[in-house]
Amino acid sequence: MAPRVARARLLSARLPHPGLIAAAVIVALLLAALVGLSSAGGGAGSTASLFPSAYLRGVARGAALQAGLSTLLSLLLGTALALALTRRGTFPGRSLIMAVITAATVAPTLVIIFGVIAIFGRSGPVPVFAGQMGLALPPIYGLHGIVLAHVVMNAPLVARVMLGALAATPAEHSRLGQMLRFSSLDCFRHFDWPVIQREWPGLATFIFLLCFTSFAVVLSLGGGPANATLEVAIYQALRLDVDFARAASIALFQITLSLGIVLAFSLLGARLPDTGGHIAARPRPDANSRWLKVFDVLAIGLAVLLIAPVVLSVVTGIGQLHSLANRQVLDAAITSMVLSALAAVMAVSLALLLASAAEAAADGLRNPHRARLLDLAVLAILGLPPFALVTGLFVLLRGHVSLASAGLVLVPLVNALMALPFVYRLIAPPLRQSAERHGRLSASLGLDGFARLRIVAWPVLKRPLAAALALSGALSMGDFGVIALFGGGDLITLPYLMAERMAAYRIDEAGAVALVLVTVAVSLTFIADRASDA
Amino acid sequence: MLELDDLIIRYPDFTGRYSLTVARGALCAVIGPSGGGKTTMLHAIAGFEPVLGGAARFDGHDLAALPPALRPCSLLFQNHNLFPHLTASQNVALGLKPGLSLSKAERGIVADALASVGLDGEPHRLPGELSGGQRQRVALARALVMRRPLLLLDEPFGALDPGLRKAMITLTDSLRRQHGLTVLMTIHTPSDIGHVADLVAFVAEGAVQCVGPAHEMLKAGRSAGLDAFMGV
Repeated sequence: MAPRVARARLLSARLPHPGLIAAAVIVALLLAALVGLSSAGGGAGSTASLFPSAYLRGVARGAALQAGLSTLLSLLLGTALALALTRRGTFPGRSLIMAVITAATVAPTLVIIFGVIAIFGRSGPVPVFAGQMGLALPPIYGLHGIVLAHVVMNAPLVARVMLGALAATPAEHSRLGQMLRFSSLDCFRHFDWPVIQREWPGLATFIFLLCFTSFAVVLSLGGGPANATLEVAIYQALRLDVDFARAASIALFQITLSLGIVLAFSLLGARLPDTGGHIAARPRPDANSRWLKVFDVLAIGLAVLLIAPVVLSVVTGIGQLHSLANRQVLDAAITSMVLSALAAVMAVSLALLLASAAEAAADGLRNPHRARLLDLAVLAILGLPPFALVTGLFVLLRGHVSLASAGLVLVPLVNALMALPFVYRLIAPPLRQSAERHGRLSASLGLDGFARLRIVAWPVLKRPLAAALALSGALSMGDFGVIALFGGGDLITLPYLMAERMAAYRIDEAGAVALVLVTVAVSLTFIADRASDA
Repeated sequence: MLELDDLIIRYPDFTGRYSLTVARGALCAVIGPSGGGKTTMLHAIAGFEPVLGGAARFDGHDLAALPPALRPCSLLFQNHNLFPHLTASQNVALGLKPGLSLSKAERGIVADALASVGLDGEPHRLPGELSGGQRQRVALARALVMRRPLLLLDEPFGALDPGLRKAMITLTDSLRRQHGLTVLMTIHTPSDIGHVADLVAFVAEGAVQCVGPAHEMLKAGRSAGLDAFMGV
């Protein structure tokens, strides 16, 4: 054995995998934040407790109901849309619909809220039209408003994942279907149902966690304390009650529940929703069924009517574009860009480290279950409460650094963590594929560590990495989570500015910011799609 | 009798013009370099390629107007012949009824078909639990229950070991004699097929370059292209 190889073996035997170090750092940050919060206490009348109060249990139950509804409806609408688009490979406007779906998956939460209010709010076209028809719609604020916004955000994600998964069925199978005279029902049973069975548990975990921990949507569309999530409760504990210890105990409750949710879904066979490869239409034996034509028109129509106006409502901002030409907006734009660039680099680095740890754990498919568990652990990050994290860490840093400079580190760090589950989905599958295909060859050539990354993994990873950078950049750019707590003063981002304008009822001016945010997010995503398709 | 009469298929980077006659009940092996248009020819007969001109006839009936489901042929691919979520016997049953609700008599037909390919022991296994050879046997059994007189096989045994490959070819041949099937089979290693093929067709550059009895075709000196392909 060459001495260099021997030394490398020794080193790698002594050091844990860098991905495990990354995972340990994430856990350490979380623990530090909880310690920070608890140590800060809550002054008089602090209500911290390890056991959640009846109120918190109620909040969690309500949030679970809301998340369950949102998840179910998103899965149904998104899957119906994907099935319809799979059966209708070509029709005029299909690429436009695909573009709207893509835009909706990356549109910032605030923009979706803005759009839902603009379209379904009191003076929006939908209630006005319904009013003219003699139909009085209830106000948009409440459980139905929250669920509507969540469906608009998540059904497109479902559609994209399902489209990719449906397109991955071998061409031979669709030919077999033609040869064997498959009816529409047979097509559903043999082509679509297995894909649904495989993809739904993972998608459900993902969407349920997103909605269970939803913040901005619930706060703006909930219409009162009857509708809340634990995330909102944490925000209120921090911002209104200034009771840090209570925030810590709610955070602990949320983390426990989220882990439980991931565990429960993993028993159902949940796996990380794949991003899917190239979406190609195949001739389907059921394309000519009259019933399915009706179904597909309805599915596409409903999805487009629900999603497109919300995404396109930002065009109302065009008339106020001149309101963007001032110092404050420019500063916010620069701050947003710097923060999201930092977050993107952190998110992608963390995802790469964790994905390679998962690959090492899978050990060339000898231990696929361990890899699946690690994948799901990354999903559990969605359950981390960003407010508790950022406040807890700030409490620890307090006195050593200023609020603004702490924000410059903590905001992108927490945004990176929140983007991690999205980005990991892009990076882990190609890395695993490369390991399956070339793992033995690289091992026999003695390729290890960095050399292996550069020679074997880099060629298959560079496009997914570019896509991941763009996606995490877009997500962080539009984030209105921690910045809601941290923002103000020196630290103003575009979403923060947009929220300020919305709160001041300067709706058209908010629309102008929303237009910028959507344009940036969509352009970044299209660049990323190009990068990953080419 | 299968007749291809100047059947034309065109793609931006490929043109196929096929003429070939195979007598009823004969086994015709199709050999030739990869990319030469063997698969395209089989797919065109099965109805999976848009045909620009010429005709494909079986027993005098023009196939042009028929969708794949109504053509007198069944096609076996090299891979992905089975649905991974269905058991071996369910995959065979698809050939009778895609809805899978079989009568007792039909279940008997499925069991017989599995037995005739030597798989009576594994009806409830999933494709993932079967070997490559067993999977192709299941696909053959399904082709049998479909009762279509023309059997097209696209390199069906290419991924199997030499011994297994020979056994599968022998099985295919005996099923053909038993059921009176006309068989068209693309194959990578011509030496495997010599003993059972009535006819060998050499396909290259999108056309049947030459065709003849196996013992003549597999000898050197028939045509320069064939010699180059055979390496003699």
